[in-house]
Amino acid sequence: MKSIVAAPAAASPAGIAQRPHPGLGQRSLSLAWMMWPAVSFVGAMIVFPLAYAVWISLYDASLGAEPRFVGLGNYLGLLRDPEFRNAFKVTWLLYAAALAMQLVLGTWLGVVLNGVRWARNLVCTIAITPFMLPPVVVGMMAMVLLDPSVGIVNWLIGLIGMPPQLWLAHPTWVLASVALVDTWQWAPFVALLVLGGLQSLPVSVFEAAEVDGVIGWRRFVFVTLPLLGPTLLTAAVLRSVDLLRFFDLVFIATRGGPGNASTTMNMYAYQQGFEFSRFGWASASMITLSLVVLCTVVVFARLRRAVSW
Amino acid sequence: MSTVPASPLHRRSPSALLLGRLQVVLMLTLVLLPIAWMLLASFKHSVDVMTLPPRLFTAPTLDNYRELFGRTDFLHNTWNSLVVAFGATLLGLVLAIPAAFAISWHRMTWPATLTLFARMAPGTLFLLPWFVLFSKLDLVGSYTVLILTHGAITVPVALWTLLPYFDGVPRALIESGQIDGCRPHAILLRIVLPLVVPGIMVAAILCFVFTWNYFLFALALSGFDTKTAIVASFNFVGEGVTNWGALMAAASMIAMPPLVLALLVQRRLVSGLALGAVKG
Repeated sequence: MKSIVAAPAAASPAGIAQRPHPGLGQRSLSLAWMMWPAVSFVGAMIVFPLAYAVWISLYDASLGAEPRFVGLGNYLGLLRDPEFRNAFKVTWLLYAAALAMQLVLGTWLGVVLNGVRWARNLVCTIAITPFMLPPVVVGMMAMVLLDPSVGIVNWLIGLIGMPPQLWLAHPTWVLASVALVDTWQWAPFVALLVLGGLQSLPVSVFEAAEVDGVIGWRRFVFVTLPLLGPTLLTAAVLRSVDLLRFFDLVFIATRGGPGNASTTMNMYAYQQGFEFSRFGWASASMITLSLVVLCTVVVFARLRRAVSW
Repeated sequence: MSTVPASPLHRRSPSALLLGRLQVVLMLTLVLLPIAWMLLASFKHSVDVMTLPPRLFTAPTLDNYRELFGRTDFLHNTWNSLVVAFGATLLGLVLAIPAAFAISWHRMTWPATLTLFARMAPGTLFLLPWFVLFSKLDLVGSYTVLILTHGAITVPVALWTLLPYFDGVPRALIESGQIDGCRPHAILLRIVLPLVVPGIMVAAILCFVFTWNYFLFALALSGFDTKTAIVASFNFVGEGVTNWGALMAAASMIAMPPLVLALLVQRRLVSGLALGAVKG
């Protein structure tokens, strides 16, 4: 293991020990062994559980019952299960609403941040704070602020004459509320990615646009936005991975309710596995979710290759 | 750094400047208001938390914190959180630093891709097999199991954060170390490591924050004695919101460490969170 660097050369004809000279043809530095601790850890903690989950998803395995092999039965059952279909729909609705808001607001905030001259670092640091907060804290804040009777949000919208809303307790609006809270937390993240993207754009393009009289809104739409394409797609991929697996906020603030109005696929899988102890069924739904995430990422990766310049 | 809107040809008009400032103020208000509200509420009497229209400046009280630390095990829970977060951070760095060195030197891609897959799967997927495995080993509820499982988060995060920093070390430096007869571990410890200290700082902070913030693994795998602060405050929510002041005090306490650490590394965090997809 340790004789990776060239071993001392055989005694030279003159009998004088020579330092090995690693020139051409000498063994080059091999460091592969250095990653084996990490790879074995990942293998034990991530690959093994994945394989176990795939295996158990082929069984009808519940608490206290003998596991019975059902092949793809769990997966076919999921497709017919109205609860899972609902979770699928909820996941994509939430995904579309939150992703759209986060990309639009994030781009706006990024452009605003890029214009900040004074105390720029301070402003950027403040923009980091929401997505550094623990999800539990964000959930608690959401519950307190959005409480129908004593929350300050209802009081604030009452000031401008709007009727109080149920927010997290309303079967239709719960998704919008959750998407809004997630946007509060993650639009600043998109903004900082956009800021990084803006700063890496070639200044010459903007100068050329100005010489041609393309300024203001038109410059933003026809010059800045297309150039930001790759950055926005990167942001979209990163947010997609999290949004499709949406769990924390609904788990804390709504428990998937009211009813199953905010039961995302991840929430559904958790309930099936840990509340109803249907291990095979839950594993099948978690693997389906993983495949959905994987497919989405692949699609975005293709798109990103198409728009890179 | 080039900045786009600063154009050499057009000075921005005063009204445009004012509009820009207003947007910044609006943004900062939206971001900070909920956090400020939480902090403020934690220093109010419970009755005042729920009063509308809100009373901004009531006589501040420490009652909520007194109740939190006096009547519950929150101090012990915070200690557990610290043990697990430091443990998982250390584990992540010890495993990821040599791995990042090797992966960067050999310009490999598959290990990074492997850990990326881990990031795409929901955490619940791992929880079930872990629970079965660690129940058999009789480890559920121990610090060991909490540190190991959060290591599944910290190792990939540390790896992805460190790789760009290791890629930035000139190869010639490593080769010259080799010529001088350094063994690989000496090259890593004496030559490379001092150069990537900023990367290690960012990685350590991200690992700590991720472990501190993640509640699912600790929720399922911690025992009564090893319950973390996040899980404890999550249970406060589950027990029905009765004392909002104390709830906000708990939220403020567990929000502090990530916020303070975020202040330390600022924007370098973003490139770490973006998994090397962008350099912020």
